[in-house]
Amino acid sequence: MTIKERFLRYAHLLFIIFVLTELFLPDGTRRAPLINYAIGFASVIEIMLLTVSALSGCRKKIVMFTDLGIVIFTVLLVWELMTTKFNLVKPILFPPLGVLVHQFIEDIPEIANNIVSSLGIIIQGYVLGLIGIPVGLFLATDKRISSISGHIAGFLGAIPPIVYIPYGIALLPTFRSVSVLVIFLATFWPVLMGTISGVNHVDKRLLDSAKVLNLSRTSTIFHVVLPASLTQIFVGANLGLCISFILLTSAEMIGARAGLGFYVKNYSDLGDYTRTIVGIIIIGVVVVASTWAVSLIQKRLLRWQS
Amino acid sequence: MILFLRICRNTLINSSKSQASPARNEGTDIPRFIHDIRAPGEQKMTNNNKKIEIKNISLTYKGSGTVFQALKDVSLTINDGEFVSIIGSSGCGKSTLLSILEGLRTPSAGEVLIDGKKIEGTGRDRGVVFQQYALFPWMTAEKNISFGIKQVKPELSKKERLELSNQFLSKVGLAGARDKYPRDLSGGMQQRVAIARALAMDTDILLMDEPFGAVDAKTRVILQELLLHLWEGDGNSRKKTVVFVTHDIDEAILLSDRIIMMRANPGRVYQEIPVNLERPRSRSELVKSREYAAVRNEIMSLFFGDIKDQIDQEAVI
Repeated sequence: MTIKERFLRYAHLLFIIFVLTELFLPDGTRRAPLINYAIGFASVIEIMLLTVSALSGCRKKIVMFTDLGIVIFTVLLVWELMTTKFNLVKPILFPPLGVLVHQFIEDIPEIANNIVSSLGIIIQGYVLGLIGIPVGLFLATDKRISSISGHIAGFLGAIPPIVYIPYGIALLPTFRSVSVLVIFLATFWPVLMGTISGVNHVDKRLLDSAKVLNLSRTSTIFHVVLPASLTQIFVGANLGLCISFILLTSAEMIGARAGLGFYVKNYSDLGDYTRTIVGIIIIGVVVVASTWAVSLIQKRLLRWQS
Repeated sequence: MILFLRICRNTLINSSKSQASPARNEGTDIPRFIHDIRAPGEQKMTNNNKKIEIKNISLTYKGSGTVFQALKDVSLTINDGEFVSIIGSSGCGKSTLLSILEGLRTPSAGEVLIDGKKIEGTGRDRGVVFQQYALFPWMTAEKNISFGIKQVKPELSKKERLELSNQFLSKVGLAGARDKYPRDLSGGMQQRVAIARALAMDTDILLMDEPFGAVDAKTRVILQELLLHLWEGDGNSRKKTVVFVTHDIDEAILLSDRIIMMRANPGRVYQEIPVNLERPRSRSELVKSREYAAVRNEIMSLFFGDIKDQIDQEAVI
């Protein structure tokens, strides 16, 4: 790839336009827009784009990242024009970019605490919920149990786990344990149903292969049935993760004293919409990072698939 | 006709009477040796070298109100070190018969003896190559073979198993594919790995169910030559007993010591044709020989007689 192909892209032009706008277009409000923070934030993104452009050997990847850059810089530019530059929207609801970034940096310890709190609950409940895999393997490999367990799981899994919260509060000592229970249920049922469906759809020819190789029952389950159902199990696991985040943030808004949901709810109650927006974006980042982590595991375990 | 009854001596007299008489053209110039059809096991075997004995096997499926007889009274003896092919049109029960030998199906009546012992389910004495899905897609070629070896020789260390796997991968010409997953291998390569696994497991008996049925014509020829070469070996080593199901007549002749032809409705053994062609064989030599043409013609006429009968039957219905 030539240097021209690598670096001559619209994203970089947009970055320059953004910086020039910030520096030379006068502020339309009388609030302190903190343009240094805004430029700093955009620069971090620009540096990431330049790094990818310089190091990646894949042309498609460079195009994809710089295209993403176009979208990001356009959004940032429009945001700045609407808020601080032309003052078109209510300043209390739509703070300038620099204010958001500054607030984020100031709140990093608090946000980190909340992330630890939320992720701690998610991981606990989620890992417990993965018990659905062995339970599903056990239930589905026995024909008689399998036929009823599908129905039972279908019924119990259909109940939205959030309705357990009031009962859970009466049942369990802390709000945290209630959250773990809800996440557990949110993960367990999809994973269980995914596993059962995966086991039921294992290709009969693979099972025949296992039989003629004289595999023991245990060996068949671990070396044949489990890998063959893995795709379906991951469908359940990914679904479980999505539902878990929805439920956790909702639960944190209801009764928690910590967590990302609490952060958002608490500051919007106080009318601090800067922090509310920061919280919302952070939740997005945390969810994306979590699903990305799971998808890495999935890719690793299913690397034999096309 | 007497000759024919001798062939079918292990089947019920009734069923042999009901069969159409062999569609052989008496008086045409089929070379004499073709008529030298032995009853199973008559010529060169004693009781000691009977490897597989199939005794009066029947298999009936009962549907809702219908009864389907997949196999009726099939008897067959296969000798130690013999390569036997089973051919027949679709629905004749050849694959069903093989799956009984594999131990995947239990016959409604009759039994299968291996080395004089009745089989119950699958066994470590039999290696199997299926048409498809013989390999586990989540294991590399090497791992697939080593996993197979582990089942028959658990005493081997992991290193020894992997060494053996690579040895057999080289034998089938796939030394470079050891770390590849089945999805990265063509259908023909996958079957080579499956054959390598079956051979590496070193079972006395090899059961192959249309192993080359899903590969293209050119690859099939290559695989047949490979199997022939591997089975014939250097002539000194002990040969494996192979039961090979196919619908390809040329394939059957090229590979087999004996061809069993089956017929449908109900599935039964119809004819046994010995193939007394010299070994080691090669396709290029074989197709030039007169004997080959004669065997081929014989089987063709039997085979298509079968199809004609089937069509006639359907027309009546």
